[in-house]
Amino acid sequence: MTNSARLLSKYEGKKLKKSNILFWIVGMFFALLWIAPFVWMVSTSLKPADQVMTLNIQWIPETFTLDSYRKVFEYPVLRWGFNSLFVACVATFLGVTLGAMAGYAFARLRFPGNKGLFTLILVSLMIPTELSATPLFIAFLKIGLVDNYLALILPSVASVYSVYIFRQFFKGIPNEIEEAAIIDGASHLQIFFRIAMPMAKSATIASIVLLFTANWNLYLWPLLVTFNEEMKTLPIGISQFSSISGSHAQLTSFGPGMAAATLLSIPSLMIFLVLQRYFVEGVTSSGVKG
Amino acid sequence: MRTGEVDLSSRINPQSKRIDWVGYFFVIPFFLPFFLFSFVSIVFGAFVAFTNWQIVGETNFVGFENFVKFINDRPAWDAFIHTFYYALLIVPSVIFLAFLGALFVNEKLPGHTFARWAFYAPNVVSAPVIGLVWVWMLDTQYGIINQYFGLSIPWLTNPSWSIYGVSLASIWWDLGLAFILFLAGLQEVDRVLLEAARVDGARRIQSLRYVVVPLLRRTFALILTLQCISTFRIFSQVKVMTNGGPAGSSSSVVEYIYDYGIAKFELGYAAALSLLLFILIMAINLILKKIFPDDDK
Repeated sequence: MTNSARLLSKYEGKKLKKSNILFWIVGMFFALLWIAPFVWMVSTSLKPADQVMTLNIQWIPETFTLDSYRKVFEYPVLRWGFNSLFVACVATFLGVTLGAMAGYAFARLRFPGNKGLFTLILVSLMIPTELSATPLFIAFLKIGLVDNYLALILPSVASVYSVYIFRQFFKGIPNEIEEAAIIDGASHLQIFFRIAMPMAKSATIASIVLLFTANWNLYLWPLLVTFNEEMKTLPIGISQFSSISGSHAQLTSFGPGMAAATLLSIPSLMIFLVLQRYFVEGVTSSGVKG
Repeated sequence: MRTGEVDLSSRINPQSKRIDWVGYFFVIPFFLPFFLFSFVSIVFGAFVAFTNWQIVGETNFVGFENFVKFINDRPAWDAFIHTFYYALLIVPSVIFLAFLGALFVNEKLPGHTFARWAFYAPNVVSAPVIGLVWVWMLDTQYGIINQYFGLSIPWLTNPSWSIYGVSLASIWWDLGLAFILFLAGLQEVDRVLLEAARVDGARRIQSLRYVVVPLLRRTFALILTLQCISTFRIFSQVKVMTNGGPAGSSSSVVEYIYDYGIAKFELGYAAALSLLLFILIMAINLILKKIFPDDDK
């Protein structure tokens, strides 16, 4: 908690001075450069087809039109969007819940195997998830667990990052609070739900942002387990609008493509915009301290 | 563990000898899916690597046949070489730029919350967005990058440029995580130390070199490790930008595995390549651990 207090006290901004004006200009230039692709994406998506492929750069469209979006909605985009939202929400909820419980146990409870199990989790971070994707896919195929929500959700419910963030946070809670609660006759379950979790706001938000964006953006696994158009998630469905480079077959298709990209990126960009302060705080307090 | 951080769980207290059996209740809900979907599948994958599992025909143990096949598989070697290339291009660029970005945002000048959002933003969008937006921006004729700089580089359509095109997009995409971790690390650096350095007459660049960078050694090591792991697994941006082409010039290991495992359904061979990549990543991890030991100083 001292951490967040310290962090907040640092939030008061500094003034621009002669000595740092150049530094500021360069920094802001790079920040603008970094979001320029998004601006270009939205700008292209709002242009009429004949103004997309031109040889002069127009950041603000001469004429605005939603034609590109109309083209995108000819596909079952709403269905894909619902699939994505549902899968991401359930997976995130489970990921945060399981992560918080395990993180609490690793930080506050003493039981044989505590250290060993946590080390095992950390080691598993080194194993690329793509590598377990093939065998997992075979297994899911064998038992016929494809083309449904369960198949999409199950593999991502155990999030190591969430365990890690919560463990680091719960380690920082003073022992006295817990001891007082135990003397009052509270069980660990009660302590967890009534005391620990309400305190863990920043860790919860950091986990939610991290897991939601990860689940929303999942690409390889949904690509493997969805065959039916109806069961596709938004990233998989929308990737149909991409023209793998070189194929200029659909010259005018950059407009709908950018509209699709805009639809796909706005939810996660917004969530991060709203929650970014808590997110940074959560990452800081969970820390890179190891 | 840092010094100064009190390990609360080991502090002597009246209940220090207790065993919280309820702990298992807390960890089992996590470990059930964890074992099933991460651990077992990895073990299973290692097993499949020694079989000739395909869509048709019987599955038999074939020993090291898949690995022998790899030795003579020129495109597979290319995929490994390209992946090293990606790592050489992407990892240093991401670390350098992310560090500069974090230094800037940490100064808390006007607009720093905007800059913080801007640097992290690409990290929250998914692979198809990278594919759609960057294929458009890197278009040889109409792409904004070539137009702005008056170039006509065939970023994604020429075999000798495709790796650079994909790397450019990857740097933009990957920067966020490294940036936010650097920022977290910088906020931990003690202001008092920096003030002391300033009083001692250290210039900004000197205090950066002799105070900040040494204090952030562990952060550097962590970011380097994470970025190496993620770049050696480079897949989705390749898939959505070039699909490994043109003529296989931008293929990566995971992209190649995907082609074999899913498109050609030669699961045995795909699993064998997965195993090789896993060993490679572990080896790189161990080397990095040797270079940056986890000391408690």
